[in-house]
Amino acid sequence: MRSGRFPAFLSTILKNKLTYRVASLALRCFGGRMCPYQLAAAKGVISELGDAYSARKPVIFASAFVPTEIVYGLGAVPYLPEMWSGFAAAFGVSERGIDESEAKGYSQDLCSFHRCHLGLEELSLLPRPSAIIVSPHLCDGGRRSLYAHSVSAGCPFYVIDVPYVMTDSSVRWLSLQVERICEDISRRVPGLGLDRMGRAIENSNRARKIYLDVCQLRRNEPAPWSGSEALNYVFAFLSGWGSEWLIELYESLANVLKHRIEESRYPVPQERLRLLWLNLKPYYKSSLFEYLERSGVSIAFEEYSYVYWPEMDERRWAEGIAIKMLTNFGWGPIERRLDAVWKMVSDYQVDGVVQFDQWGCRQSNGGGRVLADFLREKGIPFLELDGDAVDPRNSSLAQALTRLQAFVEVMDARRQQARGAHLLSSLTRITQERGRDQQDDHRWN
Amino acid sequence: MITVGIDSGSRATKVAVVSDGRILAAVKAETGREPALTASLCLDDALRNCGLSRQDVSSIITTGYGRDLIPGRKRSVTEITCHARGAFEIVPGAKTVIDIGGQDSKVIRLDGTGLVIDFVMNDKCAAGTGRFLEVMARRLELDLKDFESEWEDARDASKISSICTVFAESEVVSLISQGVPASSVVRGLCDAIASRIASMGRRVGIERPVVLTGGVSLNGGVRRSLERILGIEIIVPPMSVFMGAYGAALIASSS
Ligand code: SF4
Ligand code: SF4
Repeated sequence: MRSGRFPAFLSTILKNKLTYRVASLALRCFGGRMCPYQLAAAKGVISELGDAYSARKPVIFASAFVPTEIVYGLGAVPYLPEMWSGFAAAFGVSERGIDESEAKGYSQDLCSFHRCHLGLEELSLLPRPSAIIVSPHLCDGGRRSLYAHSVSAGCPFYVIDVPYVMTDSSVRWLSLQVERICEDISRRVPGLGLDRMGRAIENSNRARKIYLDVCQLRRNEPAPWSGSEALNYVFAFLSGWGSEWLIELYESLANVLKHRIEESRYPVPQERLRLLWLNLKPYYKSSLFEYLERSGVSIAFEEYSYVYWPEMDERRWAEGIAIKMLTNFGWGPIERRLDAVWKMVSDYQVDGVVQFDQWGCRQSNGGGRVLADFLREKGIPFLELDGDAVDPRNSSLAQALTRLQAFVEVMDARRQQARGAHLLSSLTRITQERGRDQQDDHRWN
Repeated sequence: MITVGIDSGSRATKVAVVSDGRILAAVKAETGREPALTASLCLDDALRNCGLSRQDVSSIITTGYGRDLIPGRKRSVTEITCHARGAFEIVPGAKTVIDIGGQDSKVIRLDGTGLVIDFVMNDKCAAGTGRFLEVMARRLELDLKDFESEWEDARDASKISSICTVFAESEVVSLISQGVPASSVVRGLCDAIASRIASMGRRVGIERPVVLTGGVSLNGGVRRSLERILGIEIIVPPMSVFMGAYGAALIASSS
């Protein structure tokens, strides 16, 4: 797979319209064998890839935390390069992408999500963007690395400056920026306009409502959805808002989860422990999650699946988008992230929290210490697992497994101790009650 | 009940045969290329030393990087839990266990009743491990056993500024060529490793009593640097190298 010609072959496949026709046909014929939500996701991805690579619609590159409602609202296809780095890892081409970007002189210190997509461009594996929008709140690397794509594509590049705190004036300032950027894009990129914006917001609101049901269903014990699979669907959570396919995906997901709960069919039927997973995971093949599931440990929920923003008003779309960005709990004072993490810990009744420390990800790793202290104070075990989500060469599976297994042992021991303490207090209560009864008997005799 | 703990580490394999909490025999050998074979040979050796056979063994628990490669185990448990279990048995009330092995180092925090409440391991690099010391000892043409006496002889400690094994090695070469005495370099190296472990330990909080285990526990230089940097006494229990295997055997007897 790592032969020199493979990327060229892949590039030809990606840019050929026939690929998408064949893929759609295959989904129509064999999609029945897939889980309905997987089918909905596959259909959404294939149709958008087809639009993007065959230039049927203008493509807008967006960094990971730009609300995609504005891209759908403009009538374009969103393309999140970081997300495609994750796909590249899953398809075994991330190493080529990373090598390529390093050969171009990008530092190894840059997060591999960025290094990989920069290299994928060198390998002609990215579609051509008509515009690029980035918001450096949370991820600063995106602003720098996506700029490089705008230079090579010669397309306009927009940076949304998200204020650190949420006030009335920051909402006004941010909505004005969003409005101006969208207006500018609609003027500069042929075929785009603002008339679909209301529809995109409506789609987003509908998907959000259904998704909240999904979240509610995921509170079930045992967990009805495997966390390692849910972490794959973070791509939809980051890139699908505003689309029709996300509604379909979440509708079918909610139905599947409902059925699983009714029929008691769970990915980890013998669930002993539940985890909350923060940040991302290795997207290449890794046995970390198999180990967890084999050991009866479910990932009950993930940070990147958490709905933090309120419903939006279609008529005041720019304001809605501004509020969505400003309410991101990863932005602003760290206390916001702590509150959100604590809400997830409580809602999903988890026994421990794992943060995957992606190499080079300052926004997440920077708060690790504060988070560790916060959770320790609350009595929740916390593990920071160093690794690389995209570059398999940058971490050791054996070391990660040892940490994870030790963490499971710590949680198990705590649970046993809590059970022991509970048993002891029950025994003490019974003994005391017996003692009282005997005293009473004695009194009556 | 006779139980066995096998610690299949990256550098050395340790086997402990235990009965009623007492070590009957302990054997150590280089892990080499075939961890399962080495473990099996060590086990036979240990059993022979105490006049037992495999039939006498009720249960085997494995630990260490090769823990899942050893046949005949009841189950595998990580080094973190095993070192904590072993150290707590020998030093009741232990609150911190520092295990410095060939390839990694760990600081384990216990709650005073033997329960592990937190742990931290070195990152994916060789800095702060036994491997680091081995490379440096070779460069200095010294035996690791001589580190403590060199440490004592040192009038000062050379500053080793890099934590990377490769870079630190070139620093050592340059110090030797400048004529810096080997004892100062040894002390500098021990300080470097100790300050790395100390900063790791502060992440989980180091509390007395502190027990040092693993291969590097025998290196008196590192222990003395650790005591100096942390400002507390460090207990090196007997059989400290076998603590993981011993802990595994104790877990085998209670599960
Ligand atoms: S992992 Fe962190 S640094 Fe990398 S793209 Fe995501 S947010 Fe940015
Ligand atoms: S070269 Fe240095 S940084 Fe890299 S693994 Fe070795 S010791 Fe660690």
